[in-house]
Amino acid sequence: MAAITGLTLTTPKTLAKASDTSKIKAINNFSFPWKKRCNTQFLRLVAAAAPEDLSEKVVESIKSAEEVCSENPVSGECVAAWDEVEELSAAASHAKDKKKDSDPLENYCKENPETDECRTYDN
Amino acid sequence: MAVSTVHTVQSLSSTCSISNPTKSHLGFNQKQLVFFKKTTTTTRRATTVITCSAGDTVVIGLAADSGCGKSTFMRRLTSVFGGAAEPPKGGNPDSNTLISDTTTVICLDDYHSLDRTGRKEKGVTALDPRANNFDLMYEQVKAIKSGVAVEKPIYNHVTGLIDPPELIKPPKIFVIEGLHPMYDARVRELLDFSIYLDISNEVKFAWKIQRDMAERGHSLESIKASIEARKPDFDAYIDPQKQYADAVIEVLPTELIPDDNEGKVLRVRLIMKEGVKYFNPVYLFDEGSTISWIPCGRKLTCSYPGIKFSYGPETYFGHEVSVLEMDGQFDRLDELIYIESHLSSISTKFYGEVTQQMLKHADFPGSNNGTGLFQTIVGLKIRDLYEQIVASKSGAPLEATKT
Repeated sequence: MAAITGLTLTTPKTLAKASDTSKIKAINNFSFPWKKRCNTQFLRLVAAAAPEDLSEKVVESIKSAEEVCSENPVSGECVAAWDEVEELSAAASHAKDKKKDSDPLENYCKENPETDECRTYDN
Repeated sequence: MAVSTVHTVQSLSSTCSISNPTKSHLGFNQKQLVFFKKTTTTTRRATTVITCSAGDTVVIGLAADSGCGKSTFMRRLTSVFGGAAEPPKGGNPDSNTLISDTTTVICLDDYHSLDRTGRKEKGVTALDPRANNFDLMYEQVKAIKSGVAVEKPIYNHVTGLIDPPELIKPPKIFVIEGLHPMYDARVRELLDFSIYLDISNEVKFAWKIQRDMAERGHSLESIKASIEARKPDFDAYIDPQKQYADAVIEVLPTELIPDDNEGKVLRVRLIMKEGVKYFNPVYLFDEGSTISWIPCGRKLTCSYPGIKFSYGPETYFGHEVSVLEMDGQFDRLDELIYIESHLSSISTKFYGEVTQQMLKHADFPGSNNGTGLFQTIVGLKIRDLYEQIVASKSGAPLEATKT
């Protein structure tokens, strides 16, 4: 089974769900139904993509805001473009914090406390 | 003979469940309306029980520019009530909602009427009221307040699209956080308590630099341009909500260090409106007087730049308010406990509760200065407000059943 940045597809249902949803999102973004990519390669791309994807969006939004504003600095479009930059920067920073906090084992054990890996012994 | 205390007739709608139980089951947070139907054909008495969550949901509004749900203030607030707030399990992973045992926090960005592309086309920011659906916001908050669950849309901050709705069930405490909780007059009426987080421009700039400079693509100029572009809309639509808030937490640069522009040491003012039901402002030493207090001295040694408190009555947008101000930062636990022991009307349940809450989240930003302290205190005040409201509501039905 594919190993994706340290996470394996076999084990946790929740981790698989997370990578599934990001896979679904990625499939919606790239409409290459005819291209049969190797599954493992594709999934590896997708799981690593989450925060980088946002960072890319931030970079693009800044570029486009600078373009729009150079044409007309007082238009609604310029203001809306910088607002988008702000929104994406905030989302990127939240995502970074979330990634920093989340420990894969903790997340798994929250859902499945009875499994062997998650049992705690108090004496 | 009908026995009924009907409080809110309009909540007898779709989400109340009608059952014919053999034994009555009084669920948590539910009041039951029991209708006795005497049928003339048979001698057996049929009872139909209609259960609705009775609408003892307390609604809190929090106006903040920093985004939603994951903010430090929300985490401190939910921690005061107990339990950790987490996104709804099994739902949309990009949901902005946080749910704990007692509290549900929703993000008002979910009521955007225009998604990111829509706003770009029309040339409006998210701060503009035209980008938000206040009618839906009002209906859903009203529904939650009266104990009816709603399907609330989700605004996905990652994709910028409006996702399919999620179910929100009425909790004990319902917090609406976002840019416009107090903008619409009808929504304002529904709020039991409202808070506005007012960050001054210099501090906002310093924080945004810290947040964004590490991001690729951002430079000092782009950060500055972004703040300035949003400023007109912010001043026109968001800032005026200050006057309606019951409590304002104002964050300013420190006055203890001349020419400080790093935004690390902060001067924080807690502006509390007088005369709000169930809310007793925090005070220092003597309520209603003007006090200036530097706790560092013989009993307490502080490191540079030290701590300075002041308290006094003022007027704020024509209202009578009490302002408690803290400038500086804590370094040690004993400074915090010393200060806590001198504050009055902080609504703690035991000595040292504020310190304990601050220590529990020592890694959160603001844990060593007035932002963390006042956020924690406001959290305790909200808990106190909630308990008073519940106590007064459970007093009222007893009156009705006497007849």
